Amino acid sequence: MALLQIAEPGQSPLPHQLKRSLGIDLGTTNSLVATVRGGRAEVLRDEQGVAMLPSVVNYSDPGGVLVGREAYALAAQFPADTLVSIKRFMGRGRDDVLEDAQRSHYVLADDEQGMVRLVTRAGEISPVQASAEILGALRARAMAARSEAIDGVVITVPAYFDEAQRQATKDAAKLAGLPVLRLLNEPTAAAVAYGLDAAEQGVIAVYDLGGGTFDISILRLHRGVFEVLATGGDTALGGDDFDAAIADWIVQQAGCGTLGAGEHRQLNSLARAAKEKLSQEQSVAVDISGLLPGAEPVTLTRATFEELAQPLVRRTLRACRRCLRDAGLDAEVDNVVLVGGSTRVPLVRAAVAEFFQREPLANIDPDQVVAIGAAIQADILVGNRPEGDLLLLDVIPLSLGLETMGGLVEKIVPRNTTIPVSRGQEFTTFKDGQTALALHIVQGERELVADSRSLARFELRGIPPMVAGAARILVTFQVDADGLLNVSATEETTGVRSAVTVKPSFGLSDEQIADMLQASFSHAEQDKQARQLAEQRLESTQLLEGLEAAMAADAEQLLAEQECAQLHEQMQGLRALLPGSDVAALRELTESLGKASESFAARRMDKSIQEALAGLSLDALDEEVK
Amino acid sequence: MSFPDFKQNYFELFNLPVQFALDQDTLGQHFRHLQQELHPDRFASDSAQAQRLAVQYSAMVNEAYATLSKPQSRAVYLLQLAGMSQQTIDAEHIDGGFLIEQMDLREKLESIHALVDPDTVLEHLITEITRDIATHQREFAEAFAADDLAGAASACVKMQYLDKLLLQAEQIESDLMDKL
Repeated sequence: MALLQIAEPGQSPLPHQLKRSLGIDLGTTNSLVATVRGGRAEVLRDEQGVAMLPSVVNYSDPGGVLVGREAYALAAQFPADTLVSIKRFMGRGRDDVLEDAQRSHYVLADDEQGMVRLVTRAGEISPVQASAEILGALRARAMAARSEAIDGVVITVPAYFDEAQRQATKDAAKLAGLPVLRLLNEPTAAAVAYGLDAAEQGVIAVYDLGGGTFDISILRLHRGVFEVLATGGDTALGGDDFDAAIADWIVQQAGCGTLGAGEHRQLNSLARAAKEKLSQEQSVAVDISGLLPGAEPVTLTRATFEELAQPLVRRTLRACRRCLRDAGLDAEVDNVVLVGGSTRVPLVRAAVAEFFQREPLANIDPDQVVAIGAAIQADILVGNRPEGDLLLLDVIPLSLGLETMGGLVEKIVPRNTTIPVSRGQEFTTFKDGQTALALHIVQGERELVADSRSLARFELRGIPPMVAGAARILVTFQVDADGLLNVSATEETTGVRSAVTVKPSFGLSDEQIADMLQASFSHAEQDKQARQLAEQRLESTQLLEGLEAAMAADAEQLLAEQECAQLHEQMQGLRALLPGSDVAALRELTESLGKASESFAARRMDKSIQEALAGLSLDALDEEVK
Repeated sequence: MSFPDFKQNYFELFNLPVQFALDQDTLGQHFRHLQQELHPDRFASDSAQAQRLAVQYSAMVNEAYATLSKPQSRAVYLLQLAGMSQQTIDAEHIDGGFLIEQMDLREKLESIHALVDPDTVLEHLITEITRDIATHQREFAEAFAADDLAGAASACVKMQYLDKLLLQAEQIESDLMDKL
């Protein structure tokens, strides 16, 4: 019953009224962009007709940044300036990535705050900046294909991404000038792509083995509602690990000594190529003469590769077992969906089929399925689909809690809780006369703060002096539909309040993002103003259209004559401002109209809930049960 | 503004009888139906105000659903509806036999890392704990239906103990997983 739903099913808006939306799969190895055209989701290709953009950014030339295949071609020549698999560094602290950075031959800048910045010929680059370049390249591709402004974007993230990693992804989108409607979990996106295609009912397991991450999600689809039952995985396990295992094996076989950075990159490419070939063939000869001049090729059989990969595959199956238990299921799933290039490996397919006792579905290209699902969700969120088409109920992947006495974690919102969620817990003071309370918000499944990920700290001050244990402090955790957290604390006897929007310790501050935006020459000042005006116009138009439709439907029943007249007057005023270019005035009037119509919106929502409840007759329920 | 539906208790919100036994399918249908109307995604292109309202209501429905769908929280909620506070429930007397069994199970869990084949033993322990939980759920349902609040509270606390143990077992399982 969204206020804005102006088209009835079957009477979709005219093409020029459709909003432009994109789904983006920002992957570790490759990224894709997809959109819905004529009711069908499709990936967008570059001029050469290639859908996948290698997630590689090259900074070897201070004068210009390269993204994609051109950047990848320079990887061996400029290992420290060519950032591959940068997603592994997103939202991470310097200490977390030391080893990974060394293996990738990156040079980390010193940083007192523990932020990750990589030293390149074009200056120090943060993972968020590099990701923004990839997003920017996809944006340019979409603009070239449609030559229109983009109204909304859905970007996918691994379900197991924590708060910091999600925030970093949002920051990258902001930097790239993309309006993000939602961060969507990758496995959920894949399920959407299949669910809508086949109109499935039942339980779906999504096994997603990408380049750098593994995700498993169990979902239930029921009459257009996707409910994520549980999700799990491993943020540091993926196809890259298969490559690394092969690379180590090659080094052992060939007995090459210590490799330089460029040679190491070359070795990794050889390993990846061998792995891909082994999906079709039983054995492959690896030509290592580039590394060891004059050396004979080494032969890798599929059986040897499977031996190397077996421990990694076993790790994924354990996560599957735990996820099934979290979902409250034994092993009964109706469908298994494969996502990610690494699921092309025959060993993986066989192991998954055996575990779930189902032949997995793979009729949508596993490399494209996530972007396609994201495009469908973006199309829905931007308002292009008839109402009731599809709803996603997602969960938080990791528990959220607070530090309590003795360095222990008190979990407030356990993992796999459906979002949005708002949950409060009472705490009290520990000492007589205590006037402040330090709150430390952590994420993770462990019981000790030391083992958990620290998200944020803030203080509640101004508690009136009382004896220990007398104060009643209500701490509320609110997680929105993107999985991002807000925490507030209130002393209940006095109403003293303090709140924080969680900015992870390694995220960028708003000022830093603003600075980066300022510095980025591709978004010059007038561009920004034009964008602001366009965005504001859109918001105002949306409000007007929505209100008009809502009033046409319900004004008579729900509004007094005077209220109705007042709203009409304000709407008239706003409409008059639309053709102009005064952003501030537009914003002001839109906000005030929004406020004025708030109680009308609430009454409408109220009415529709009652209708929804009343509408659930026994007949309807029986029918739903079938 | 008035939202009478949210002033009802969770059972009424989903149109269900106030009792421990519960039809998960019916609960799920009412839940999905309400979310179809209220979820913030339904308001993704509406005003910020409408979105804020939607987040709040959607969160309330999620909370109600989460409370009722899990037997443990449903039991606590029923006792609270009957006027018992969390403190009164926690203070309920537990028989010594149960506590000894608990300690025994806990010891087994703690020594599991030393075993040659921890997986099989862990799997077995988890089955045992799950079975015990089911037993105490039946106890709770019977006591609550017979208005024996003290008996129901005692069963509820036992469920709580075992739930914690199960969590611990699952934590060990994931530790084992990390070791691979």
